[in-house]
Amino acid sequence: MKMAHVVASLSGVALLGSAMVFVEHDVRAAKHRLDEPTVTPEPAQQAAVADYTEASYCTPQFKSVLARVVDACGLSGQEARRGCEPVDVKTFASITDEDFNALFDPLVKRGAILLFDDNSDKLDDDAKKLIADSWDDRKGAHYFFIVSRASKTGGADYNRALSQRRANSVFLELEGQTKEEGLEKKVGMLWLGSEYAQLSKDYCGTWKHTHPSKPCNAEAINRSSFISWVDCRL
Amino acid sequence: MNPSSRIPGALGVAASTIGGFFAAFSSHDYAEHLDRQLHGTHCSFLPGITGADAGENACSAAMYSPYSALFKDKLWGGLPISLFALGSFAFFFAMSLYLLLGTTRVSRAAKTAHFIATLAPALVSIVMLVISLTKLGQVCKLCAGIYFSSALLLASGITALLSRRGSGVAKPAKTVSDTDRTQADPEPWHQKKDEAPVADAPAGSMFVAVGLLALLGVATVMPAVVYASTLPDYTSRIVSCGTLTLPTVDDAKKSPFVKVTTASPVQPATTIEDPLCPTCRAFHQRLVADGVYDQLDMRVLVFPLDADCNWLLQGRTLHPGACVLAKAVLCAEGRGNARAVLDWSYDNQDELTAAGKQGKAELGEKVKQRFPELETCMASKETEKRLDEVFHFAAENKIRVLTPQLYLGDTRVCDEDTDMGLRYAITKLAPKVK
Repeated sequence: MKMAHVVASLSGVALLGSAMVFVEHDVRAAKHRLDEPTVTPEPAQQAAVADYTEASYCTPQFKSVLARVVDACGLSGQEARRGCEPVDVKTFASITDEDFNALFDPLVKRGAILLFDDNSDKLDDDAKKLIADSWDDRKGAHYFFIVSRASKTGGADYNRALSQRRANSVFLELEGQTKEEGLEKKVGMLWLGSEYAQLSKDYCGTWKHTHPSKPCNAEAINRSSFISWVDCRL
Repeated sequence: MNPSSRIPGALGVAASTIGGFFAAFSSHDYAEHLDRQLHGTHCSFLPGITGADAGENACSAAMYSPYSALFKDKLWGGLPISLFALGSFAFFFAMSLYLLLGTTRVSRAAKTAHFIATLAPALVSIVMLVISLTKLGQVCKLCAGIYFSSALLLASGITALLSRRGSGVAKPAKTVSDTDRTQADPEPWHQKKDEAPVADAPAGSMFVAVGLLALLGVATVMPAVVYASTLPDYTSRIVSCGTLTLPTVDDAKKSPFVKVTTASPVQPATTIEDPLCPTCRAFHQRLVADGVYDQLDMRVLVFPLDADCNWLLQGRTLHPGACVLAKAVLCAEGRGNARAVLDWSYDNQDELTAAGKQGKAELGEKVKQRFPELETCMASKETEKRLDEVFHFAAENKIRVLTPQLYLGDTRVCDEDTDMGLRYAITKLAPKVK
């Protein structure tokens, strides 16, 4: 009888002791791994942080133009005057007219050209529709560009003012359509008048514009506002 | 049953050995997760022979459920129930060994105590089995091994109870012919046995019985005491995943958030969920089962991991069709039944996932059948724009492209704390939630 007691008691104590050692070891091992993790997740395995789209056309040169439009021409909301005028663009772009226009070529499927009548800043119905469609096609873009021009007819000062009014027309139309707060932080405006980066008549055939059935030439394509979302991060 | 029977002891030794084996593996799997990483589980009837299974299975579902451990609000992960099983099986092994070796000398009081003691694991197993079947809808194999061992232990207890009394009187000798007797064996075996009366087991003291039950109690809690005293301190870790002030948007029609009505909201909370994400489903169900969900003042950022609408994924769809359900949730908000759509999506996730893989039209049809009132809204341009706002909001606020996520106030609950440590993290980060 005593033997049964002793054997049972000893085996019970041994088993319970082993269980406790086992538990203690497991918990301590986990604690050690917690303090000194041996496996660090690969960057690829870590969840990405949501951000705006960065398209391949966002070259350093394109971004420098974008950055200047954002920072220096009022898009950031810190400047009293909104938008960049030709002298600004000439200063910060430091590139030829052709190279400046070429920066925007990759936006051919994203952007559109709103054509105005001669000496007018009034948007027609087609233009308004194209503005709405372009705005809705935002996807992951952060910035929306309005680049307005005037044809070479008339004086430089007049054309500069005309192109500014055209840019403003588009912006006001956007404001009216979207009723979005903080719109000025998304929309970058440039007006180039007739003195910088004029479009060639080739743009009539390659870019989506509002008067496809009307004759288009170098004069007509520059009585315009180019609009597009820009898929670049800064 | 004869007091000298070794059946109760043998049954008990076998049961406690098997039970201890399963309980040890279950405790080991649980303790592995204390490093807040993902690990496999030994979800098998032969744990140790087969390796740990990674991914979701019945054992991981049981482990992450609120029923797997006690004091989950006080300790990270709580005290797994398997630890108590481990301690009690150690006791039962010793007790059964005593029954096996002591045979007739084991007192009736000790046998009664053994029987009473075996009721405890049997009752706990019945309760856990019912929970597994009714709440989790599945039974994990390790758990089943423990339930089986508990049943075997109960059999040991019952046979011990039956073996307390002998026959008390000698049975009449069988009539045997003298021809059975020989000179070498004047008393053949069949005569000898029947002649001897079978005595009762000794009565024993009831103090012994009480002492044994007390020992069971001590043995049962000892592994849990060791576990609790060795646990790491998680206090600083649960607040290490940062804060984020998610702005409120006053215009409900433009807000990327969906307001979800709950019964008694006391804690502002934001979740980022995808109705077709299995982890979100498990997470949602954990919050509901824990009784936490209804105490959250909940707004949900429905974030479908479906490139059909989510441009953040850059074409990599994880849950095809999730955009359709996201629109349904957005539209349901206006009718005050966003939660109904979310719950329905999770309850029928497997079926909806299959439909989503066939195409969004198939999935849309299922939504239409269940919530016909949402059809017009789901097809509208406004809903499409509002859903797009979700992704812009995510980009603007640098939110991780990951579901599920939970923010309690401004504090982000770490991903590592959304399963085993969820109750603990909520208690610490949102003390108002009971």
